[in-house]
Amino acid sequence: MAVVDIDPDVPSAPSSSLPAAIQADGIGIRYSLRFTRKTTLQRSFINLFKHEPADQFWALRDVTFKLVHGESLAVIGPNGAGKSTLLQVLAGIIAPSEGTVEVNGLISSLLTLGAGFDQDLTGRENIRLAGAFLGLQGMDMAQRTPGIIEFADLGPFIDAPLRTYSSGMRARLGFSIATSVDPDILLLDEVLATGDETFRAKSKARVVELVRQAKGVVFVTHDMNWVTEFCNRAILLQHGRIVAEGDPAEVVAIHKEHSRRAKAEREAELAAALAASGGGVLPPDAAGSKLLR
Amino acid sequence: MSVTAQAPAQYRGAAVRPGPIGLLREAALEIWNRRRLIGYLVQADVRKKGADTLLGNLWWVIDPLLQMAVYVVLVSIIFQRDKPDYPIFIFAAILPWKWFQTSVYDGITSVTGAGSLIRQVQFPKLVLPVASSLAAVVNFAFGLIPLTALILLLFPHRLSSTLLLIPLIAFVQFFFNVAMSIGLGALNVFFRDIGNVARHAMRLWFYLSPGLYALSDLQAATEKLPIPLIRHILLWNPFAILFSAYRNVIYEGIGPDWGALGALLVASLILLALATLLFKRAEPAFAKVL
Repeated sequence: MAVVDIDPDVPSAPSSSLPAAIQADGIGIRYSLRFTRKTTLQRSFINLFKHEPADQFWALRDVTFKLVHGESLAVIGPNGAGKSTLLQVLAGIIAPSEGTVEVNGLISSLLTLGAGFDQDLTGRENIRLAGAFLGLQGMDMAQRTPGIIEFADLGPFIDAPLRTYSSGMRARLGFSIATSVDPDILLLDEVLATGDETFRAKSKARVVELVRQAKGVVFVTHDMNWVTEFCNRAILLQHGRIVAEGDPAEVVAIHKEHSRRAKAEREAELAAALAASGGGVLPPDAAGSKLLR
Repeated sequence: MSVTAQAPAQYRGAAVRPGPIGLLREAALEIWNRRRLIGYLVQADVRKKGADTLLGNLWWVIDPLLQMAVYVVLVSIIFQRDKPDYPIFIFAAILPWKWFQTSVYDGITSVTGAGSLIRQVQFPKLVLPVASSLAAVVNFAFGLIPLTALILLLFPHRLSSTLLLIPLIAFVQFFFNVAMSIGLGALNVFFRDIGNVARHAMRLWFYLSPGLYALSDLQAATEKLPIPLIRHILLWNPFAILFSAYRNVIYEGIGPDWGALGALLVASLILLALATLLFKRAEPAFAKVL
């Protein structure tokens, strides 16, 4: 694996004079469980008359950090720590419930690839549609289209409706569109496991190229090799809060230590539960008869 | 390396929210800036509706004709009501009603249907119900084909220059349709059974509006109602005005009631402003709820 040089001089340079690419101050994201997913009128009427405070859940709390130009920041942490939510906030998809986030520069987020694809449109038409969703000018997109088509390498399928595509082909098209813009700030969320072996190598080279060009990068990944190789700072998120920040190698070490401990705890709990049920007081049929009575 | 984006390059996720006027201006700007996106969405929508069926978009021509046939059989044979040229009489109501129905049903699902996109891309969500309302206009325009054919082939004596006023009435109805799409589209994000409620409410609405019968029938029937308010609501309901206007220009060959139509236009614009405000207020929560 080639080690890519991300110009280590830049982050160590005095950053206070430069405007921050991203400045997040005490971001908190609150989810009200009253309105999550498929509430019906019936439920909300019930909630209206139950004078309980709505159940709230903080996906992120007190998240403060700064991304200076030229820096690439890794966000790591266990599942459900709020990593993807943080990227959604930075991309402007979710507004913070408290705190502020200031972004200077054009952001491109490669969150999940191929989000807005329309099954009935051809690949070429989907490129146009995706560009319009991302807010690019028509002329601009027209210039980029040949490059996107070439990189996706779909052959004649580019003019076939998307529902005829395999999932790999779809991912390739998505990746090509998402990486065709050259943004100031790049948000990446686990986008590297895409397509077959050849395409994966190609896409990795593309991401490395983008990382080098972008004025700032925020990675969310579970691939610790990427973190130590490509990032010059890392943040460890747990339960929506920053628990460690600093040198990638050190933060990764803390993360590994934490997950090892969490795993050990889970195993101990599981063992305890097994022991309790194994040496149970009642045999299964006794418990059954008790229920029947 | 310059990307000329229509999306803002800089933003602040601060808690400051613009007031009602600011929100409305923002909404208007969003629609104008994303007109190209809206165009693509309309195109995709129109193509999709014709894609999976045997007769494709031809259904837009056949559908109102079949519905008309059902009502003609029901009213003139079962109920034995006799009105001259009843097919045209009824078609003048079916056409705008089908348009309204399509617009409302598609508007309701326009935002929830784009859930995965909303969670991953930042764009003005207002384009979704607006695009679905515009796509429904195409539906209405196709319906004018069987109407013209019907008049020319079977009822040539009904041909009149007032037919040219149809676009004007449609213009007024469009604003009412968009307002409903935007408002219901936003509500459906939070209450997923809006669609179920709408289906029944719409049916009742159609039967209580002078679609199958004339406005004069409605006036006569409601004259002796104990509560006069109900009569006023029925007579001033948007579709009492719209059906009468369409029927005047298509069936009677006379001009519409301009006063009522103007009042409806003003009311629709106010409703549109309110629905847009509701939508813009709810918009920041969409990505969280979907």
